[in-house]
Amino acid sequence: MFGYMGKILRVNLTKGEITEEPLEESVARKFIGGRGLGAYILFNELKPGIDPLGTKNKLVVATGVITGIPFPGNSGLNVMAKSPLTGIWGESTAKGFFGPELKSSGYDAIVIEGKAKTPVYLWVHDGEAEIRDASRLWGRPTREVQRIIKAELKDDRVQVGCIGIAGENLVKFANIMFGFNHFAGRTGMGAVMGSKKLKAIAVRGTGRVRYAREEKLVDLLMEKLNSKEALSGPYFPDGLFKYGSLADLGYWQETGRLTTMNFRKCLFPGYENITAETLATSPYLIRNNTCPHCTVGCNRITKANDPYELDPEYATPEYESTAALSSLCMNDNLVATLKAIELCNRYGMDTMSTGVTIAFAMECYEKGKITKKDTDGLDLTWGNHEAIIQLIEKIARRQGIGSLLAEGSRRAAEKLGGGAEEFAMHVKGMEFPLHDVRGMKGHGLGIATSNRGACHLQVETDDMFEGQLDPDVGIDETTFPKEHRDRLYAGPEKVKIVKIIGDLFAVFDSLVICKWTVYPCGGYKTRTIVDVVATATGWDFTMDELMKTGERIFNLCRAFNVREGITRKDDKLPKRFTEPLPEGPYKGEAFPEDVFERMLNHFYRLRGWNKKTGIPTRKKLEELELRHVADNLENLGIIPPTPKRKK
Amino acid sequence: MPQKYVVCNPDKCLGCGICEFVCSALKDKSLDPSFSRIRQVNFEPTGSMAIACLLCEKPPCVTVCSMDALSRDEKGVIRIDEYKCNGCGWCIRACKFGAITLHPTKRVVMTCDLCDGDPECVKLCPFEGALTFATIEEVTHGLRKGAVDKILRELNKARSESS
Repeated sequence: MFGYMGKILRVNLTKGEITEEPLEESVARKFIGGRGLGAYILFNELKPGIDPLGTKNKLVVATGVITGIPFPGNSGLNVMAKSPLTGIWGESTAKGFFGPELKSSGYDAIVIEGKAKTPVYLWVHDGEAEIRDASRLWGRPTREVQRIIKAELKDDRVQVGCIGIAGENLVKFANIMFGFNHFAGRTGMGAVMGSKKLKAIAVRGTGRVRYAREEKLVDLLMEKLNSKEALSGPYFPDGLFKYGSLADLGYWQETGRLTTMNFRKCLFPGYENITAETLATSPYLIRNNTCPHCTVGCNRITKANDPYELDPEYATPEYESTAALSSLCMNDNLVATLKAIELCNRYGMDTMSTGVTIAFAMECYEKGKITKKDTDGLDLTWGNHEAIIQLIEKIARRQGIGSLLAEGSRRAAEKLGGGAEEFAMHVKGMEFPLHDVRGMKGHGLGIATSNRGACHLQVETDDMFEGQLDPDVGIDETTFPKEHRDRLYAGPEKVKIVKIIGDLFAVFDSLVICKWTVYPCGGYKTRTIVDVVATATGWDFTMDELMKTGERIFNLCRAFNVREGITRKDDKLPKRFTEPLPEGPYKGEAFPEDVFERMLNHFYRLRGWNKKTGIPTRKKLEELELRHVADNLENLGIIPPTPKRKK
Repeated sequence: MPQKYVVCNPDKCLGCGICEFVCSALKDKSLDPSFSRIRQVNFEPTGSMAIACLLCEKPPCVTVCSMDALSRDEKGVIRIDEYKCNGCGWCIRACKFGAITLHPTKRVVMTCDLCDGDPECVKLCPFEGALTFATIEEVTHGLRKGAVDKILRELNKARSESS
């Protein structure tokens, strides 16, 4: 089999057993790798209702079929498990050097089961693996752990993915840091590692993937590098290299959709202090950084001494992190925002969930749901950056109110009660991304129906389609004229785009490729990706197969979720979005419930799901070659039994 | 004609490794970076740098070759006689920069040949100013300019503060 290493490593931490198993080509082709492979494994092996932080949960780290082929954006891995934050399908991708190194070490994926008695780390190198003692690593910050492991293994090219103290303390949105400045940030995968007492995974290898037509692949990639296709997207050539994804912040402010004051406002008075331009001309930005073979260079490394000391090992801002910890909390101090990001990265917590949860706490404080007595004297007034920073320390260590907030905004709101639920901006338990969907109707539907809760990376923002078309995936000028691609349009055509992009991104998260380089945000047309997969694997891989694979993976994750009790009632947006935007160019624009419900009806119809329940039908599942999934759901009584034919 | 060589500016290099890809792709039609004549080193978070042959005036790799396989041509490029080279690796150990190495399949040594005077890695490096094909004079001029620029800015700052 070409393109894969062809092996999966299975590690049982309870028994201390390490085994390997072949990756069957039929599974590989149907599920590609990454999200698809993880969903296949976890759907088959996890019983519904298990405790995400118990011994029965499993963590899958998976690369994709083209991971390691040197072209921009193609260096990802996907970490998956049942999420402790949401209780449903959990996954988070990370780019950087770890994914390709994992493959070189001999495996396409690692499945981690059980729970170690004492802290351990996993060391995988050239087809061998061992579980090693990590007791002296426990309690240490992320980058320090990586340094110690590299020194212990006497190889600085070892790639390490590890958790910080937030993961150890089972903060529900703890993340995993892979190498320098790359994170599997969302859905609390770090807490799953923490619950297994697995501090880190270290990989190193010199293995080589075999490709079906390597010379042709070389020619294809050279042609794409020469034509700079990756950089032909709407953000280039200026945006991402010059300003990083932080460029979004100014854009959202200008277009009146910057998430401010826990989504109550959409213009931030102090925005000029925290824009990408401000950072670029400030003395704090020391350099850009990039992923392997990426020509984009969107990462940022910063340093400062005043008013906070910033460690460049951790102070690496991008849009979502920055907006969550600045405008959303009304904090207009740039260095304080960078410091907050630095601490989240040091302790291993998702910056987005942290920011949204802190904004939730600030609103609770404003409305008197929590007081100084609850916060150990912290003054959680909007914009108090000293309080934000102290709160991050408390959350990571689960001290005082930090322990409540470490549960995530949904659980914290449930515990506080008395209307606090309205301040928790989440879908299915995961905190909202920093996108005000009142001004982006398709994106709103995408976030509400995303399989991992409120996620902006499973369906891209509407603004992207306005200028970008890709006829190969069916988004062209005739099918979707300009007015139907408009960000405020909420009709059936928009719903169709949401479905197409959902399927497309399911494949991108399985391959695992960065969305900054592919349609609709990046320059690569989907056809290019199809060509790369076909040339690497030798499969007669077509656009139709890619889209069908995406739909299969999307439905498989949905099936995982319906087993955990997800139905139509959970596909919804926070109530706040039914209130109109208070100011700016889109003043008065809301996302009314009836508009949303209409979109959702159409979405279920297009997906072939039961309109009342939102559960995939047997017909749809069988059409996607997911008969085993349909049988499983039928056995659990989730979908009705097939009527027996009369003889 | 002054000699030009492939020089990397660590302030501009982001360590993406596109230069490695270009080199191994064009020289050997391979996706494996160990076929590349230019190699990249990352020191996170401080910086990254790619290293190719520095065209030493007195190349130790040539001096130590007991097979007479290595020579330095008029442009400064180290020429390797693949028939004479036995892959012993003395030259690899003699080079302090890791700029000459063993070809993974041919088992003879390889180093940067400047692509006949027009290095492809320089042309395709995505980050402006990271890789250049320049003479020592051009490189040092750039360094001097940077130093003077910094001094002038500090001076102006000091003057405006004192006035």
